[in-house]
Amino acid sequence: MGLRTVTSTSAGLAFAAIEYLAVAGLVIYVAGSTGWIAIAVAGLLAVLVWGFYGELNGMYPTAAAIRLYMSKAMDDRAALSITFTYMTTIVLVIAADAVIVGSAIGYLLGQSGWAVGVIIFAILLGTVLSNLFGLRLAGGVQDIATYSVLAATVAITAYGLAHHGVNLPNLIAPLAHKSPFDFVQAVAYGVFLYAAFEWVTASAEEVLDIGLIPKGMFLAILALFATCSLIAIDMPLYLNKAQLYSAIPQLYLGANIAGYVGLVLMVVVTAVTAINTFNGGFITASRFMYAAAREGNLPRMFSRLNTRAVPYVPVIGLATASFIIAILVVLTNSWQTIVALGAALEGMIYSVAGLCVVRLRKKLPEQKRPFRLIGAKVLGWLGVIIFAFLALAAATSVKGKTDFVPLALLLGLGILSTLYVLLLLPKIKARQQARYEQKERRRPVRKEG
Amino acid sequence: MADWSELEEALADYKQRCNSNQRLRRMQRDWSRVLHFVCSDNGIIFTMTVDKGEITDITQGHNGIADIIVETDSETFCDMFWGDLNPVQKYLRGEIIVKGSQEDIMRLDAISSIIWPD
Repeated sequence: MGLRTVTSTSAGLAFAAIEYLAVAGLVIYVAGSTGWIAIAVAGLLAVLVWGFYGELNGMYPTAAAIRLYMSKAMDDRAALSITFTYMTTIVLVIAADAVIVGSAIGYLLGQSGWAVGVIIFAILLGTVLSNLFGLRLAGGVQDIATYSVLAATVAITAYGLAHHGVNLPNLIAPLAHKSPFDFVQAVAYGVFLYAAFEWVTASAEEVLDIGLIPKGMFLAILALFATCSLIAIDMPLYLNKAQLYSAIPQLYLGANIAGYVGLVLMVVVTAVTAINTFNGGFITASRFMYAAAREGNLPRMFSRLNTRAVPYVPVIGLATASFIIAILVVLTNSWQTIVALGAALEGMIYSVAGLCVVRLRKKLPEQKRPFRLIGAKVLGWLGVIIFAFLALAAATSVKGKTDFVPLALLLGLGILSTLYVLLLLPKIKARQQARYEQKERRRPVRKEG
Repeated sequence: MADWSELEEALADYKQRCNSNQRLRRMQRDWSRVLHFVCSDNGIIFTMTVDKGEITDITQGHNGIADIIVETDSETFCDMFWGDLNPVQKYLRGEIIVKGSQEDIMRLDAISSIIWPD
């Protein structure tokens, strides 16, 4: 894996179809076209995250990534509870992308309501079948897909900006008629725009030069900043409130900028981002569940493989959970709630990453760190506090209004994960231990002398 | 520390179990790889060649260009090839280091989970 692929993987993991909804959610909290300022501030915070993951990945260059960092830094039960809570982000993003792609296709075909549900079902069924048959996108295809999506988005938004023009005050005064807390909310959404760029650290074993990972992540941050800033500048210029709150703001943006051509372009872009999400998201989540089952942290059935070495129980389970969530989202029009919840989960895990850096500096001061974060003690704690605060901010507001539903969902997920780890997991581990104890040791005893 | 003769004995048993397991052979029929192994404690290195799911060759030293590189201590390798430990637990704790694609890491573990089911 070279720098080009590391960068596209990092940016591609972050730039799901839900990205457009996240930008739409962000611009509601700022004045005019100043969303780019919140995205820039969030980008600086993403650089802080880059520092955290750069150091942690250098210490433990493995696909186990955040799971391993946390287990080394804290009590394993706490690490597992946080990991299981965080992994629901993948299910949410898959569900949200299914809604967005289904809605986009439905809009193009002039369909809505139950037809969108059927399209969502077809999308998820197609994803499940391709996963079960072991079909994979070639790395080169993923590169082309990610760079094409970013380039097409930049092209159409840059054209829109050049065509419309924008007043300077509209670009540089985020707090006009808005409060500082609104700006904080915007930054919280901004952090979500970069979310998952750090998942490329799980590909550490696929690069020959571990230094490419931090380089690629940094370039991905720059690419995401540029792309999302242009979207954030254009959306207030071209979209009304109803379009901003819809499941497909990017389609309205494309149509309002460049007519039918723009609409079709954004439908294609949406579909391509979703391919990346479904391909990468299902694989990542199913392998995580397979590894967790092999480790003894999930029931054994999650480690069963089909004839193509695919863990089919996680794949089917993920698709089912995503479909249920997707239908609930469609019925309740709550995609912005999903965005807020996703932003809160990402804020939470970034806060935990900062904590891991601080604790491992104390626990393992002599461990080799190929990438060393300067000022880790101060920056680590700063990150813990800032991201925890942003997570709370994201979890308590939706569409510009106070709303505790994301917080309730976050706490609910955390409580369920903790109950599983504390009550069910000991029984699963005890059964696994009993199985191991019953197994006869096969390795012959070495004769001395 | 395990020496090469112990490792050789473990690898011979592993190879026989893998090649005689029809379910595994069917699952890995599209998987051909060169694996390099490195013992971090005594410096022993060896190569395993897999051709369409069949282990065709195991030799001391590193031959060919590796698709996957696995590193751990010799005792862990011995226990792993005899099926006396769960490699995933060691891997997730960072005690087994693997360089390769996530797909290949998955396939490698699939071998253990098929020939020594829990």
